[in-house]
Amino acid sequence: MSEVEILAGARPIREVNEAIRSAVARGDDVVVKDTRSRHNLAIGLGAGARVRLEGSVGYYCGGLNCGARVEIQRNAGWAVGEAMSDGEIVVNGYAGMSAGTSMLGGLLHIRGDAGPRCGVAMKGGDIIVEGKIGYLSGFMAHAGRIVALGGAGDACADSLWGGEVWLGASPKSLGVDTREIEPSADEVSSVEALLESRGLRRPEVDWRKIVSAQRLWHFQSRDAQAWLMI
Amino acid sequence: MCGIAGRILEESGPIGRDLVELMDAQVHRGADSTGFALYGSPLESGYIVRAVGFERSRLDSDLEDFKSIIRSQGCDFAVDPVADDAESRHVSVRMVVSEISDLPKWTRAVDEISSRIEVQSVGRSLEIIKDVGTAADVADKHGVRDYCGTHGLGHARLATESSVVPTASHPFWARPFPDVAIVHNGQITNYFLLRNRLERQGYRFMTANDSELIAVWISDRMRQGQGKPEALRKSIDEIDGVFTYLIADRDSIGFAKDKWAIKPLVVMGDEREIAVATEEQAVRRIYLEEGDVVNFDGPAITHTWPILDAREAA
Repeated sequence: MSEVEILAGARPIREVNEAIRSAVARGDDVVVKDTRSRHNLAIGLGAGARVRLEGSVGYYCGGLNCGARVEIQRNAGWAVGEAMSDGEIVVNGYAGMSAGTSMLGGLLHIRGDAGPRCGVAMKGGDIIVEGKIGYLSGFMAHAGRIVALGGAGDACADSLWGGEVWLGASPKSLGVDTREIEPSADEVSSVEALLESRGLRRPEVDWRKIVSAQRLWHFQSRDAQAWLMI
Repeated sequence: MCGIAGRILEESGPIGRDLVELMDAQVHRGADSTGFALYGSPLESGYIVRAVGFERSRLDSDLEDFKSIIRSQGCDFAVDPVADDAESRHVSVRMVVSEISDLPKWTRAVDEISSRIEVQSVGRSLEIIKDVGTAADVADKHGVRDYCGTHGLGHARLATESSVVPTASHPFWARPFPDVAIVHNGQITNYFLLRNRLERQGYRFMTANDSELIAVWISDRMRQGQGKPEALRKSIDEIDGVFTYLIADRDSIGFAKDKWAIKPLVVMGDEREIAVATEEQAVRRIYLEEGDVVNFDGPAITHTWPILDAREAA
């Protein structure tokens, strides 16, 4: 097994992704260079694949991941890890809007801040954000966990259907149909274990756990006014 | 989905080439039409007029009529108008005219024949070039890459609200405010209400495109004495829909983004020059190396970047 360098540059993305797939099939680790914030890099890779992207990437990087380890050296654009079902994606910088959209499983670890709608429509898995999550994060998530050490912007966890948002600092505001609950000692241990698996120890954090208040589960159109957020 | 871009250079340079790059990188966001608002060295007197003639074979006689109208307004061609030499039925015309004493009145007069020649921009410096097709199509047809200037805007359009014709493309001129242009990514839902109000005040809109409203709306606010930053902020409360738009004049490029935080905007650069676009990969066409990128991802944001040349001249 060796490490293979692949240049993105101005090449067609399909060609770059085919080169990544061939290298992965040979059992090689992949380093993608000259990424130029381009879209759709390292899509749909499976277990055993290891890809490091040296630089910033554009939209949907690592989307449909089903077991690969993908690391982005700098920033990611829209929807990094969209619909991933397994594996691990690490963003060392900032993750743009809708990080982890509709993800089903696996782990998305963002070392910087995340933009608006982080974890929108999430259906499973974990998102760890060492910084802050943006406006409307967790919007309409069904399941899974978002853990944001740096707190959250406005309308945090708006219209949460299921799942959990854990905050290590205050949100600017909570969204509609949310409830803040006192986590049990077991639940806190589980989040701490998740963080420790990533080399993060935060014993001093006073966790705020946000869940669905479940009133929108039985939406009545006559109540519509109560749900208008702006 | 559309793509927008802006570029400011420290001093007059290859603004056309850079804007074509920024739009070529976003061609997948819309290829119905592409347009550019370009700001070159300002004329000391007189105006540059960009227009489209709808019937190439009739252009000479239409220009004769245009000339008699502007003469009736005490204005004349400073040099002979120049038309593109493509084979399309419509034809782009660049005119340089002498001083205009009352631009709103002049504009109303030339708009009498707007079904034959439609004025698309008037300014000391601004030139709007827009046409159907991709960035490369429009750049090739109109020689956009050769254009020198200090700043400008670009737009790639995926038509949602009105027809795919050269005149319904962006950028839009803030008729009749000289040198003001916008590009917009999004949909405005209450444009017909706001437009009706402006029409009752005498403003004229040439298309059924929702975006045409924005430039006039902001300019009207500024005419009433509001500062540009304040007018931009106010637009977030009063203009409804999802939008990120860029507005340019001779002094600055500004932007406003709605409270839903849907349409992205990315900027790279420093205090002296910047590139701004819908997608980061577009600004990376200008700045190949990794560098600090600002993502305006949050809700309800405005910002204004000054044009250095204009600031130093002031």
